Amino acid sequence: MAMIEIEGLRKEYRRVRGGHTVAVDGLDLSVPEGGVFGFLGPNGAGKTTTIRCLLGLVRPSGGRLSLLGADVDRALPSVIGRVGSIVEAPAMFARFSGRRNLEILARIHGEGDAAIDASLERVGLRDRAKDPVKAYSLGMKQRLAIAATLLRDPSLLILDEPANGLDPAGIVEVRELLRSLGAEGRTIFVSSHILSEVQQTADHVAIVAKGKLIKAGPVGEVLATTGATGVIVKLADLEAGRRALSDANIPTTIHAGAIRADVPADQSERISRTLAQAGLYVSELRPDTVDLETVFLELTKDRGVGD
Amino acid sequence: MRLLQSELLRAASRRLVPMVVIGGLIGIVVGLGIAAVNADKPSPSAVARAQIGYEQDVARCEQSFTGPQVPGGFDSVTQYCEENQPPGIGGFLLRDLGAILQGIATFVILLGVILGASLGGADWTNNTMQTLLTWEPRRVRVFLVRALVIAVCVFVVTVLLQVVFAGVDALVASTRGTTAFLPTSFWRTVFLTIGRVSLVTTGLALVAYAVAMIGRSTVASLGALFGYLILFEGVIAGFRPTIQGSLLVRAAIVVITHRPILDPTRFGDGASDVLMGVSRAWTVLGVYIVLLSMLAVTIFRRRDVT
Repeated sequence: MAMIEIEGLRKEYRRVRGGHTVAVDGLDLSVPEGGVFGFLGPNGAGKTTTIRCLLGLVRPSGGRLSLLGADVDRALPSVIGRVGSIVEAPAMFARFSGRRNLEILARIHGEGDAAIDASLERVGLRDRAKDPVKAYSLGMKQRLAIAATLLRDPSLLILDEPANGLDPAGIVEVRELLRSLGAEGRTIFVSSHILSEVQQTADHVAIVAKGKLIKAGPVGEVLATTGATGVIVKLADLEAGRRALSDANIPTTIHAGAIRADVPADQSERISRTLAQAGLYVSELRPDTVDLETVFLELTKDRGVGD
Repeated sequence: MRLLQSELLRAASRRLVPMVVIGGLIGIVVGLGIAAVNADKPSPSAVARAQIGYEQDVARCEQSFTGPQVPGGFDSVTQYCEENQPPGIGGFLLRDLGAILQGIATFVILLGVILGASLGGADWTNNTMQTLLTWEPRRVRVFLVRALVIAVCVFVVTVLLQVVFAGVDALVASTRGTTAFLPTSFWRTVFLTIGRVSLVTTGLALVAYAVAMIGRSTVASLGALFGYLILFEGVIAGFRPTIQGSLLVRAAIVVITHRPILDPTRFGDGASDVLMGVSRAWTVLGVYIVLLSMLAVTIFRRRDVT
């Protein structure tokens, strides 16, 4: 069973001065059970609107959505207890303590102190639980919001930009937390515009731009989309090296003080041997891995993203 | 039931609630303390003389009523006479408590309206409505449970403050004034007044809550509500006196005082002079609460929460 199923989702917002803005334009998406699913796209791509539609906060203009097999329009209350979510910035009562914020939410589903303590422990906030939320750093607020999502022991977590505004240490903390939650068999649906961040945690990704799905699938499959793999070679005489490789029918370019051989990484041995036979010795030889950022820019370059 | 527990905890955690209670208690102590300091306790002989005159005035009043008709808003002729014959003595009289409670009703209502608007608007100001709805997506349920919590909270707080006021007033009267000249049904009248003031305050707090849910802001709702009540109703009542029978402020006054508003344009023409009776006032209050709540629920259900 797909944890999230979206068919033809469309959301239009009315502009104050007339006309409409299309935030999501016929989006289709299926999120499999288990692991971390990255929902990627630039700011304004329609990620948050999609999440709001999934959680019943925003009424779609068209299309069909289901969460854990339940139709969002008709049966959301029957499954919401198994879904933990954060939409945009974590919203809590600033003057209440972190614990009191959790208590208010926990009561709604009849969760007791044990669940609150376990959630606070899980995100490392137990020692600061009695402090008012206004005294928390952004990272702590984010962790408190994640603690709130864990109160219900959810099988699906929907997190909108969980690393937004965090410092590097906070980003690492959230990344580790997402990994461990995903490893427990939960499904983590995480939206982000920080592509490199998601690449380190996600098993599957979907890339959206201007409200449309551009590409979806396992991370490895999406990375292979552009076919842009290669090997980076560093040596003393770049020009001689390039000539030697060209003579061996290995296409190359020189860029940023290195040779880039446009062949798969498993051809590294051939490159090394060719250069050695020409009396050239490499100081560095490594695969030129393509990251999601590159793939994303490649996939969206004809769609005017970022205009 | 769980949502109700959550909402009660949320309301109890708000700083505003204890602030209203503590501020109200301080106001009561300071206000009645000043009155006590300035009051001169009458001598027992002066009270005894005034008591004789008072009883004679009440008897004379009762004799003036020959027919079976009882004045509007009273249970009996005796009650009417006892409450409307002033004793011939000055100073701090416990018998004035009912009138004082009616006089401070404006402040009680103000506190209730602020509580209602704040408990309704805070989630929008803090953006926590989004969080709440991801836990309980049934918006009608959220609206109704919160309305219930606001009603209970406002009613309990305002009854508490008024009972404390009545107790302190009785203490001041017994030490710095007099507890004589009390009508037969004095305490019953006092507690009915407290109940009516709290019910009206609860009703207006629900109106403020509904407006806060429509405007999605505490401040905007208070501005809109007071703008309507003070400016619009005040102005329109001045231009068209007959419309007073449909206005919220007039309805609140009629319910609290338990006295009808008379039509100033029809005095003495033989027709019915009552512009708004007590039962009509309750109806007007109810209609405002129900209509605004229905509007608020409809908008809350349909509008996106972003």
